This record gives sequence, C-alpha cells and structure tokens, in this order.
Amino acid sequence: MDLIKRLSLNKYRVDKESHIRVNLDICRTCSEKPCIKVCPAGTYERSGDVIEVHYERCLECGAALVACPFSAITFKFPEGGVSFRFG
Amino acid sequence: MSFDADVIVVGGGLAGLSAGITANREGVSTLVLERGEYSGAKNVSGGRIYVHALRNLVNIDDAPLEKPIVRETYEISCGSRKLNFSFYDPETRNSYSVLRAKFDPWLAKKAEEEGVLISYETLVYNAERDVNGITLKTNRGDLRAKLVIEADGVTAGISRYLGIRSLSPDSLMLGVKEVVKPDNVPEEGEAKVLVGYLNGLLGGGFMYVNQDSLSIGATVKVNSLQEEKILARDVVEDLRAKLKVEGEVLEYSAHLIPYYGFNKLPPLSAPNVLVTGDAAGLLINDGFVIRGMDLAIGSGMVAGKASKVILNQGDPSKTEVYEKMLAESFVLRDMRTASRAFQLMNNERLFKTYPELLCNVLARMFTVEGERKTLMNVMVEETKSRGLTLTQMIRDLMKVV
Repeated sequence: MDLIKRLSLNKYRVDKESHIRVNLDICRTCSEKPCIKVCPAGTYERSGDVIEVHYERCLECGAALVACPFSAITFKFPEGGVSFRFG
Repeated sequence: MSFDADVIVVGGGLAGLSAGITANREGVSTLVLERGEYSGAKNVSGGRIYVHALRNLVNIDDAPLEKPIVRETYEISCGSRKLNFSFYDPETRNSYSVLRAKFDPWLAKKAEEEGVLISYETLVYNAERDVNGITLKTNRGDLRAKLVIEADGVTAGISRYLGIRSLSPDSLMLGVKEVVKPDNVPEEGEAKVLVGYLNGLLGGGFMYVNQDSLSIGATVKVNSLQEEKILARDVVEDLRAKLKVEGEVLEYSAHLIPYYGFNKLPPLSAPNVLVTGDAAGLLINDGFVIRGMDLAIGSGMVAGKASKVILNQGDPSKTEVYEKMLAESFVLRDMRTASRAFQLMNNERLFKTYPELLCNVLARMFTVEGERKTLMNVMVEETKSRGLTLTQMIRDLMKVV
C-alpha cells in the first residue's frame, strides 16, 4: 500500500506552523541525507541540495531527533498532529 | 511562588497513569499532563503486555486487552530456507496482545474515577529548575511543581530540557507497524518473532494476533537505517509481502524504542525529577521476552510511592530514594538479570551471522551425500568459514543461559 494512503488512515490535526526546523546551511553540506531513509513517514524529501519537510505527514515517532548525524534537524512535538486509533 | 501541584506527571501513558494513580492514592496532590487528545492517542506498542504489574495496579477484569498469548513462535528465514518452532501453552494468561489507543483510555478513565486530574492536549515544550521546584512551559501556560515525574516516553523531553540527557541513534530502535484485518484472524493469541526478514537491517520482525486484527511490524536499529539503503517507510510493506499476509490495512504507525540495557541506563533521577518508563530506557529483551509496558507500570508505581517519601522528607531536590526503591523493585532487578542476554540481543552476529549459520548447519544435517559428518564437525566448519570460533559462539549462547 502506498505511503500516503497508509498515512491517510490516521487522524491528523495539522498545526499552522511546522514543528520541524532544518538548518539549510548544514543540510547543504550533507550528501547522504540519512534523514530521508530513517523517517518512516516520508517527511523528508530531497529538494536540490537540501531537503523539503512535509511536516503534516509526521508520525511523531521521534526518529527525527537522531536521524540527522549533523544536528541540522530541530524537532519538537506538534500541538495537534497525529492521533492513533489502534496504537 | 505558588505551586500548581506538588507532583506533576508529564505524560499520560502507562508509566504516567501508574504514577498518577499511585501518587494520588498516597494522598499527594497530583496533576497529569498528556499532549494527546486522549491517553493512547500518541502511543504505539508492538502489541503485547505482560500483565503482572498491571494486576497490582488495578482490577483488570474489564480491561480492553486483545487476546491472551498462548503461542510463542520463532521464524528464522535465510533466503528460501526457513526454520520455525512454537511453544504452546493454552492455559497461560501471563501476557496479552494489546492496542494502546484502546487500552490507555481505559486506564485513564480508571485513574480519573479515583480522582486523578488529567489535563489533555497539554504539550510541555520546556522545563526549568529553580531552588524550590520545576517550572514547565506548556501550551496552556507555565505550571509549577515541587516534583516532576517524567513519563514522556522514549524521547525524554524533560531530561533533555534540563540538560541531563541527549539521545543517540545507537541506543534507539525504530518500530514501524501496521494493523491489518485479514480474512481470517487466528482463534488463539500468538506472538511471532521474525528473524532474517529485514534485508540485512539490524532488527527483527514481529506479529501479534489481536481480537479482529493482526499487528505486524519490525524494530530496526536507527544507526542501521542511517547506513543501509533501505527506506524505513518500506520496511513493513516489504515484511508483509514476505509473510504473504493480506487484508485491509487499518493503521500505519511508528515509534522509537529505547534500547539501552541495564549497563547503559540513562539518569533515572535528577533534583526534583523522577524518570520512568521509556523515558528511563526501561526495556528488556532476553531472547524469550521483550518487555517495556510492565516496566513502565512498575516504575510509575514506584515513582508515585517515592514522591510521597520525598515530599515528606521536606526537600524535593533529594530524589535518590526513588532510585533505591526502583533497585529493590522487579523493574531494575529484572533489567539486571537480563543485562548479559541483552548484550547478545544487541550484537550484530545475532542478526547477520547466526540465522544463516543455523540454516546451513541444519541443511547439511538433513542432507545425505555419501560422506556423513558429525553435528560437531559441521558446526566447527560452518563457524570457521564465517571467521568465528565455536568458543565464541558458545560464549554468546551462554549470555542467554
């Protein structure tokens, strides 16, 4: 099943502002972009030599706190965000 | 400065609710903060709870547990070869499959019926300590307490805000999971451990049988995801295809899992702070059981009891007694017992070398080709060809024993 379809099974209350910040100056220097591989929600997408953040997809697993070896990602939990029905 | 409560519990999951219930029973003024709309909204577990600690906390007759787990199955896959074995015990009621978005609200209701105050949709985004207590910065304004019980889960926000903790990818696993409704759900509760299904990622798969669904997922070391070419988002779908489990996908979720072990536990307390559950890195994997939820409940209960003792002593910055009480409880005793087995469960050989070695040894033993060798000789040859010695293997095995 396609990722976006899978994510849409969850209930989301999307915050007005992103709860994830990326330091693009650091991001630019990284070629591997391991955050893209680690995030189970596909929140991080390559965009030129940096990443684009789809914060509305976030499953709030917390992996973003350690996904970037260069500490370019600042992650706080959103006020709204995902609500699981099964968990 | 006034206090909003003597004790504020951050997090309304299993550890937080257990702490809230216990502190409240001890007569301590307690407030529980939960960032979700309801307890369990933000929780994901693989799906099995060992209920011994829960029974000591509340009456579980009407608990919305899924199925008692009566069958323990291990499936080890090496390419097209497969080894599986099961242990069946129809009478046991020691553990149940569980879905947290159903279970946690039930426990929260129990807590509220006893008079525990839970503030939902309350997000703590910072914490500051001063001479008398802790101020929590929340989306509902500042809240002050003499003592904070940290039950905010694996990412341990409170500890991080207070500067006593940082997270590292090699002490964390990522769990990814689907809840699937197949055409036929097995009658009896079963737990499966799946080895060798993750394309070389360091980790394992799991499957639990629920009331009308299956929980299927995998736990993978975060540093292994960073290094390999496999995307976390594809792990469960790939696993499900390999297992040939079809049906309606009801949910896709993910969660970090603390993977510290007894010898590398993070700080369990700080001045004015008691750390519980996933935030305290409490997880046991000894090869037979993988436990977190009962440790969360156990540590929450101890923290609730300790909060009363600490407040009575008159100085809420002196929290050592919590660690002492935790060390005397099953929580740290069992963590210690499992510490050697845990080292093996954290060892690359277990995921990469042993499954395939075992399959090869078995394949050779079940094959007749004209020159028969003893099991011992086959094992020596197979370990040697992988740059291992039999002694090393036995030493690894002894860790579990």
